[in-house]
Amino acid sequence: MLILHDMQAIHWVFAGLGISFVTLALLAIANRRLGVSTGFEDVCSLVLDAPYFKRSAVTGGRPWRLPLLGGLVIGGVLSAVLGGGWSPMWDLGMFDTEIGWWPGGKVVWMFVGGLFIGFGTRLAGGCTSGHGIFGLSNLEIPSLVTTVSFMASGVVTTNFLYRVIL
Amino acid sequence: MVLLYLALGTLFGFVLSRSGAADYDFIQGMFLLTNFQLYGIIGSAVAITAPSLWLLKRYGKTLTGKPLVVELKPGHRGNVVGGILFGVGWSITGMCPGPILVNIGEGKIYALAALAGGLIGAAVFGVAYPRLQQPMGLPLLARGTGDG
Repeated sequence: MLILHDMQAIHWVFAGLGISFVTLALLAIANRRLGVSTGFEDVCSLVLDAPYFKRSAVTGGRPWRLPLLGGLVIGGVLSAVLGGGWSPMWDLGMFDTEIGWWPGGKVVWMFVGGLFIGFGTRLAGGCTSGHGIFGLSNLEIPSLVTTVSFMASGVVTTNFLYRVIL
Repeated sequence: MVLLYLALGTLFGFVLSRSGAADYDFIQGMFLLTNFQLYGIIGSAVAITAPSLWLLKRYGKTLTGKPLVVELKPGHRGNVVGGILFGVGWSITGMCPGPILVNIGEGKIYALAALAGGLIGAAVFGVAYPRLQQPMGLPLLARGTGDG
């Protein structure tokens, strides 16, 4: 069950089909390589002057990546609205039952996790979509190395938290 | 074209939201090896995309007739080090970059903190790039670590 309105999750094969459709449409229509984490750099490039954010790979991607990122937010809104209504919430599933921190603690927890995500994905050159979906589908070795690295590290971290500490 | 990217992003976000890919419990279940759902999602997405992508590259043109060229991501030590750091972040938050935005859309307030962290993390990386280049074996700044 999903945290969102306790909905039943759709079967994984429909999710796989949907993600494939988006990946292939981006490539077939516009010759774009699916990827989300570079979009974070695009956002940074709107306000930062460092040479890294002045590269054409970053600024040239803004016209398509920023709308894609905006769409992800809209998709979440639609999902909530159609699934029982949109309302702000702090619900965090097993984090609430096992750890049970108040909202302020969750904000710090999420911010720290976000730092790892932002720095780590950009150092690795991509995230679950760019390396895990597109890179693996394109049989790229760096994507396999990255995907194995983040999956292994996630397994270790979650098991350490929920099975060792708690 | 902006509307196309917006529409594809919306479909992507909706699917991530309804499948559990943007759900804290499903992500922890994946890492605890107690829930198959995310392996099914990523596995089927790759299994369907891989042959289709191969055919598209063979065809070599986009639907509008422009050349279809897939630029490969470079390999470097950052793949491993960055991958490990990202895995820690994915486990802590239960979100990877796409689902951070999906969770914000769903109304989950704490996801805004994850986004703030993600943007600052990416900013720190970009500013530190010249210093990371040698130890991590990263490509020239003009190329970067790979878009995605």
